[in-house]
Amino acid sequence: MKGRLAALLVSATVSFSASGAEPDPLESPLWDYMRTQFIGDDAYVFDDRVKVGLPEFAEDPTQVPIMVDASALSGNIKQIITWADLNPIQHIFTYYPHPEIVPRISLRIKVQQGTAVRAAVQTKDGVWHMGGSYLDAAGGGCTAPSAANSDPYWESHLGEMKSRFFAKEEGGRYKFKVIHPMDTGLVNAIPEFYIQQVAVRNQQGDSLARLELSQPVSENPVITFDVRDKNQKHSVWLRDNSGNEFERDL
Amino acid sequence: MFNKKALTLSLLLSANTAAIAAPLAYDLKPEKIAENTWVLKGALEDFSRKNGGNIVNTGFVVTEEGVLVIDTGPSLKYGQEMKAAIAKITDKPIKYVLNTHHHPDHFLGNQAFSNTDILALPKTNQQLALHGDAFADNMYRLVGDWMRSTEVKLPTKDLEVDNLKLGSHQFSLMPFSGHTGSDLVVYDRKTGVLFASDMVFFQRALTTPHTPGLNIWFEEIEKLEAIDYKIIVPGHGPVSKDKSSLKQMKRYLLWLDETLIDAAQKGLSMTEVIRIPISDVFPDIKLTRHEFIRTVAHLYPLYEDKYF
Repeated sequence: MKGRLAALLVSATVSFSASGAEPDPLESPLWDYMRTQFIGDDAYVFDDRVKVGLPEFAEDPTQVPIMVDASALSGNIKQIITWADLNPIQHIFTYYPHPEIVPRISLRIKVQQGTAVRAAVQTKDGVWHMGGSYLDAAGGGCTAPSAANSDPYWESHLGEMKSRFFAKEEGGRYKFKVIHPMDTGLVNAIPEFYIQQVAVRNQQGDSLARLELSQPVSENPVITFDVRDKNQKHSVWLRDNSGNEFERDL
Repeated sequence: MFNKKALTLSLLLSANTAAIAAPLAYDLKPEKIAENTWVLKGALEDFSRKNGGNIVNTGFVVTEEGVLVIDTGPSLKYGQEMKAAIAKITDKPIKYVLNTHHHPDHFLGNQAFSNTDILALPKTNQQLALHGDAFADNMYRLVGDWMRSTEVKLPTKDLEVDNLKLGSHQFSLMPFSGHTGSDLVVYDRKTGVLFASDMVFFQRALTTPHTPGLNIWFEEIEKLEAIDYKIIVPGHGPVSKDKSSLKQMKRYLLWLDETLIDAAQKGLSMTEVIRIPISDVFPDIKLTRHEFIRTVAHLYPLYEDKYF
């Protein structure tokens, strides 16, 4: 009897540590804190199916490419939150999926120093599936003035977009670029000025997938997203924190 | 328990050894490649705390009227060692120092040559004034203590001649632009040695942070091919007597350009592009993946812009 109880206690301890305190594979000092900030005390697992593609090092800390691919969990996703643990503004984007859009997004970000970059994918059962990669960086990306700050080009081109559709064997990819300073507000006397909302819309004007962006997204964002049906027409709609709205047929 | 102790002890010992290690030294050994002409060869590596930034080829030519120095290396320490190495070979004074372009491994040894005229192309001097300090800061981060006391010493003059006669040596000073927008190539007509600077990387992947375009670089390599040199000294990589280094440059530049065009036409994101396999045409080139990742950061946005 005694032996049994001990065994039970042991197994309880083991299962608790497995679900509640799985060690961070990226060994980031801020893992526990940032996790609580973004997903609270919700259940989570580290999941190799959530991929965060990064270069191993940031050649340019103001333009670091990242690609978040949760397509292995397609159809079962409520939202995806991405962040960089050691950035002064950690949140990068939150993504709300749609059945017609593949949960695979690429864009570029600013980083302030070497950091873990995370994607937390919440499935419909409420569990968060964590993916991440480590990026080495000399730093300074978030506190460097945007190039727009020394070049008035953006003033007369704000919100101008270029885009193209690339057909693939199955479905296709939209890539678009928009002229915007994406100022973080962390540079002296330059207020924050950045695109907060991105929505892919269908021809009826319904929003399909949505992105909520934060300040670390790089100046003149270049964003890709993949669609399942290459014959559908889409448009993209953006709004920045000053209320400017931009829209373009893709 | 016992093992753990032994481990701790050995860790302590190794820490101790590091603390009393010999002072850092590049141990530069000039190699004579032609009459009156020496080259100091760097490692085919990226900057590291192990190599102290010595990844570069520098050189010097001893003429009857004095010594011509071509590039001064990545740090004050390198410059000092280079100067000492020259003094062991000749008692002739150093007449001129040339900085071939504005990258840190080519000019941060300038401080050691403080009483000499240091010359660079006018545009190189502008680039050095603009970026020199940032480059130096970054080198401290990358190679650490090797940089101790190193400060940016700008060239003293704009190089405004295309010929330089020193003793019996007649040097052609040729401005190019492919690598950084302002690249000096030095051709010694007496010996047939071509100091190609970083216009040429051989067996080591080329770097692109300031290139005006791969196609421009390619065209300029063809101009270098037309020179009837006997020996070519690349900025990085082995000295050679034939045109193989230029052929490799052309093949590699072409592969880079075609790969980036193809990726942009397919709509790939940068993260996908950096994983593209390196062509197996280049098994002998070091650091291809590392430099490809950098090149994608430098140039892919321009290629993307063309295919929107």
